[in-house]
Amino acid sequence: MATSKSDLKGYTTDFIKSDTDKAVFLGNPLMDDMMTALINLGAETWANRRRVKIIEMLFEKNGKISREMVEAYMPTPEQEKQMQVERDEFIRTAFGHFARGATDIVALSTLNPTSKK
Amino acid sequence: MTMLNRRTLFTSTAAAATIAQDTFLGRSAQAANRLDVEPRGTIGRLERLPRLDLESQHDFITGFRQFVNGEMTRAAEARINALLKAKGLDPTSDLPIDTILEHTANDPVIANSARSWLSAQQLSWRTLRNEFHGNKDAYLSEMEAADKSGPGSLELNPGIELPDYTRHEIHIQPGGYVGDPFAGHSYLYGTNNFYTGRNNQDELHITLANVLPLPADGKVIRILEQGTSCGQLAVALKQRFPNAEVWGIDCGGPMVRFAHMRAADLGVEVHFAQRLAEDSKFPDNHFDIITNNIMFHEVSPEGIHAVLKESMRTLRPGGVYFPIDFFTGSPPSKTAFSKFRSWWDSRWNGEPWRLEYAAFDFNGAMLKAGFDVNENGPAARPGSKSNVMGTKRA
Repeated sequence: MATSKSDLKGYTTDFIKSDTDKAVFLGNPLMDDMMTALINLGAETWANRRRVKIIEMLFEKNGKISREMVEAYMPTPEQEKQMQVERDEFIRTAFGHFARGATDIVALSTLNPTSKK
Repeated sequence: MTMLNRRTLFTSTAAAATIAQDTFLGRSAQAANRLDVEPRGTIGRLERLPRLDLESQHDFITGFRQFVNGEMTRAAEARINALLKAKGLDPTSDLPIDTILEHTANDPVIANSARSWLSAQQLSWRTLRNEFHGNKDAYLSEMEAADKSGPGSLELNPGIELPDYTRHEIHIQPGGYVGDPFAGHSYLYGTNNFYTGRNNQDELHITLANVLPLPADGKVIRILEQGTSCGQLAVALKQRFPNAEVWGIDCGGPMVRFAHMRAADLGVEVHFAQRLAEDSKFPDNHFDIITNNIMFHEVSPEGIHAVLKESMRTLRPGGVYFPIDFFTGSPPSKTAFSKFRSWWDSRWNGEPWRLEYAAFDFNGAMLKAGFDVNENGPAARPGSKSNVMGTKRA
């Protein structure tokens, strides 16, 4: 029973596709796409920032760098922790407004409460 | 390029402290001599993602998920509660999901929280798929080299007839568990950032393996994990029970193929097979312990009954059945926000049976299958005080 089989053709099979890629939650597909684009850009931006950070750390440590050294770099636990702090700050800076809740909205047309009525 | 020594790293990993070490000494001799694609080395059990940018994208997704699950979700929950209260409804009462959706689904705060979670999930799957499919020759060659390698074994059944419930894109993972040759690869890294980095060393699976209750007579010769996916729990079980024969089965051929490669790479002897939990092909009275982890909420109600019946057949008298899932340790929450989240997960995260599972009398189904049911088995899932366990009367 516990023998391997060499014929692997067909070991994947038909699946039932999700319709999630058609989801529109924000009332307008372009709004959904914009939010998705922002998140994707966030990931790209963070990847670039992390690469720069690693280049800086390598340069500071060795005085020279190569592509291979950058790709293989293993941050120390302390460096990793610091980068996570920076990552979370970046996420809050970029996306924090989306968590404000909008339960107490002040509309554009609202008069300044200190102004005379 | 400098490769890291998995043995050295793993044995210094705190997460491994509670499991037997003598069966887990790093890469097996066979694995060391065969093709092993890990261009950026390993961190403990984890093969680093093969490109720095991909690793960084997933680092972002991990942090973004924490943000969405934390601040954005709290804002959405507050909004749901406020909207329902404004309509004179109590958000802590057991409201019908249709009523909750009627008053909340179009709110921009709630919708954007859902959109953000979904877009991060889609980004996770897409980046992984691009990597593995973009370099498919290398990854397929690696799996082919591992197929007949040990320790452990692999059994694939290409002609297996799969019930429809197994063929959905669960978690909206492209191709699901059965349709993508790299389903196991994607599942491992996708769930790593789903768990926001807390399971990169299988910490959650090791915890589960360590709480698994023993049969009253203490004999543990054979163990089965149903729905093994990447085999993380099965590996942890073998480490806890080094003298037992451990099996992991899954409907997905790509899942068990990856699970075998990973276990062999880690030097852990587990037998993986592409089989159905409801039609496992094992003899009667075969296993001392049968378990599974977060499997049943992905199974149709009819499927659950069939799996429990098969489990009863293959468990030996006196053996222990220990299912672990959302509600095997605590009942589902009835608050409006919890119900909204369950509905949303079911509808938009590819969990077709999530709501049916929440309403399913699981303990009653275990009794119907013939188990003696103890609702006060050892706690398994984080935050639970107990977990249901079944025994087969001796």
